[in-house]
Amino acid sequence: MSRVVVTGIGVVSAIGNDVASNHAQLKRCESGIGKAKHFTSKYVDSLNFAEVKLSNEELKTKLNLTGKKGISRTALLAILAFKEAIHQAGLSQEEIKSYRTGFISSSTVGGMCNTDELYADANLKGTPSEYVGAYGGGEHTLRIIEQFGIKGFTSTINTACSSSANAIMLGSRLIKSGRLDRVIVGGADSLAKYTVNGFNALMILSSNPCKPFDNQRDGLTLGEGAGYLVLERADLSEDKEHLAEVLGYGNANDAFHPSATSDEAFGPCLAMERALESAQITSSQVDYINAHGTGTPNNDVTEMFAFHKTFGTIPPYNSTKSYTGHTLAASGAIESIFSILSMQSNELYPSLNCVDPISTYNTTPIQSLTEADLNIVMSNSFGFGGNCTSVIFSKAARCL
Amino acid sequence: MFITDLKAISPQLTYNAEFLGGEKTSHEDTVYHVIEPDYMEFIPKGLLRRMGKAVRMGVGAGLPLVKKHADLDGVIIGTANGGLEDCIKFLNQIVEYDEGTLTPTNFVQSTPNAVAGQLALMGENRGYNITYTNGGTSFENALLDALLLFEEGTNKKLLIGGIEEISDYNYNIDSLSHKYKKEIVKDTELIDSTTPGTVCGEGAALFVVENNADSYLAQIKDVAQITYPNEEDITQCLIEMLNRHDLKLTDIDSVMLGYNGDIDHNSWYEYIENALLVHSNSYSFKNLIGDYRTCTSFATWLATHMLNGETSFNKHIARRVSNTDAPKNILIYNHFDTVRHGFILMTK
Amino acid sequence: MSQTREELTLELKKHIVEYLNLLDIKPEEIKDNEPLFGPELGLDSIDSVEMIVLLDREYGIKINNPTEGRTILVDVNTIVDYILANKK
Repeated sequence: MSRVVVTGIGVVSAIGNDVASNHAQLKRCESGIGKAKHFTSKYVDSLNFAEVKLSNEELKTKLNLTGKKGISRTALLAILAFKEAIHQAGLSQEEIKSYRTGFISSSTVGGMCNTDELYADANLKGTPSEYVGAYGGGEHTLRIIEQFGIKGFTSTINTACSSSANAIMLGSRLIKSGRLDRVIVGGADSLAKYTVNGFNALMILSSNPCKPFDNQRDGLTLGEGAGYLVLERADLSEDKEHLAEVLGYGNANDAFHPSATSDEAFGPCLAMERALESAQITSSQVDYINAHGTGTPNNDVTEMFAFHKTFGTIPPYNSTKSYTGHTLAASGAIESIFSILSMQSNELYPSLNCVDPISTYNTTPIQSLTEADLNIVMSNSFGFGGNCTSVIFSKAARCL
Repeated sequence: MFITDLKAISPQLTYNAEFLGGEKTSHEDTVYHVIEPDYMEFIPKGLLRRMGKAVRMGVGAGLPLVKKHADLDGVIIGTANGGLEDCIKFLNQIVEYDEGTLTPTNFVQSTPNAVAGQLALMGENRGYNITYTNGGTSFENALLDALLLFEEGTNKKLLIGGIEEISDYNYNIDSLSHKYKKEIVKDTELIDSTTPGTVCGEGAALFVVENNADSYLAQIKDVAQITYPNEEDITQCLIEMLNRHDLKLTDIDSVMLGYNGDIDHNSWYEYIENALLVHSNSYSFKNLIGDYRTCTSFATWLATHMLNGETSFNKHIARRVSNTDAPKNILIYNHFDTVRHGFILMTK
Repeated sequence: MSQTREELTLELKKHIVEYLNLLDIKPEEIKDNEPLFGPELGLDSIDSVEMIVLLDREYGIKINNPTEGRTILVDVNTIVDYILANKK
């Protein structure tokens, strides 16, 4: 069966507008969480956010889309990261427009970041806004398809916080099935009153920067961003650098509660077990886990339990949400990219804000920048609706 | 893959057997609302009380299948909008209470993966679970994922479906994009209408599909999709799909087309009907249920019954029927807003 | 005219039925001392948040988090007690 490799990555988040700057800030162990400057909401003074530093106008300028109407911030972030990924992968026009090239994106907010306009349009107040056609979760996908001329299989996934991890999984499976030769996978989400107020209504937002795995943690910090990976068949991309190989993946449903994980962490355990099985490795071969680690009381304790049950001896782990906040649908892709950067550099980045770690299993998250020989890494994403997905990457068998 | 069970809530009496028995419900409006069962008879009240319409319909159609088939090992749902009514209710709260203290239920239930999550929860199903929100090919995405899982050998029996609800709000947004007719047209006159705009429908159609079955209702052989195609792309897309099964265009005995009464949408269907599949019987289906992004799930439900020899509804959907033998295969072709196009190939 | 405890209790029950969308349950059927999160009514964590919203919107009472809420949201009696002690 074909092997699937990563030939390009693109990311924009609170810690950088491209891969290099994200990586640099990870190495500096500096969080991107702070006060929002562009996002408007009653909560911008009282809450912290992990906002992308570019305004919508700056994004449009960067993308040569100045003056274009009706493009949501989600779509702008998506296009920026998408462009970086395909550029790194060196995809030609012919390859992008080939029927054998697919695109799978994801978003939870989609165009609903334009909350005020959505309210007006949905209630038929005033003249229709420029965003009338842009609210759907799949609209940013269409924007990219149209702009880049993608003809192959396309899809948009929404399984809340595990969405782009599922995109990576589906893309890999499509290549292995022989239906596609390459597929760009990932997701995007932007800060929106909708999600801020939704999480706030559930009382799972922290008023401080999130503290994943800390005993004093009291909620998550919302972030925004986009991440895309170009996946290709290994044997058809031998002339390119392979950043990593997609070794395995697993998807499971916790089947317990719409917005909380079971104490027994059925979903997380099954997702990780299925990923290990699909990768045909044992748990002891995993060198590092990029945890879902949102910083909510429920997630972190259940995820730790899942680590203990799945691994026994828990490998080094962190939550890079302490850098980027929770980027919702984009988190699977962004955190997979960070896992790959970690692996390429043989470096482990500390989990920030963890001063009083949960110590139930005699282990703490990574405390400081550490060199390590990393060959196989895992990235976890667990979402509302019980959707749990785990993806495993390995160093590519061959690097240029 | 083999369809071994199915259930649909639609603007026709499809939940029980009345529609198949010949009872057709007429619609004369720009919205075709579903005819719902009494959910309280089988959905626990503690859960039902939270459910918006999309979730109620999805669970209403899915739960009987979940209960009957305890060995389901995954749930795959396609829904372009999910619980948009809940979404907009939450947005209204945000505005009306100026981001103050808000009730969370609308938020939690509005997430498009709420249906798949709820069905997993109620069936204690920890298998593969995913939701596609890809506009007019969300259901087609779900079908392809299921086919892949069976090829990979990881699953044996899946629950798959397509769901979409009408709320005032999503109707308002789509109507601002001039999607719907400005005048009232009878459903019997919809497909041949010569004005722009269509009518808004809703529904939930759920299926149990298996990788192997001795006894089954129909097979879904393949699915294909393409976005922003030209004529050459559409032709190639269809021919390649048929080639994978050693079929030629002339082997398709029936085609079900997504004509929706919008004159600006017809050319694609005319091309398939009159240029590529000129030898096939042709049918429409949106005159029964209106148009919505996952309506091919209803078309699949209908095609399954046609492949099983049901004919009571043929007079409502037939366009060109020259061969009166029971169909051996049915191709469903649909596009939403001329942008996302999908093909579903079904056989007996 | 100020409300009696009985009137407040019935009003609270009506709000509970409305906010939590309790199907098939009439307000008067909820017993004053029936545990809200017990097996009969079967409310859960999302309902506790909804109750916090109810108390804010209908009675101007702010409960800051579910932990604080747990001691107040035991049954109708305890909530009525709290409202009478804190209503603005």
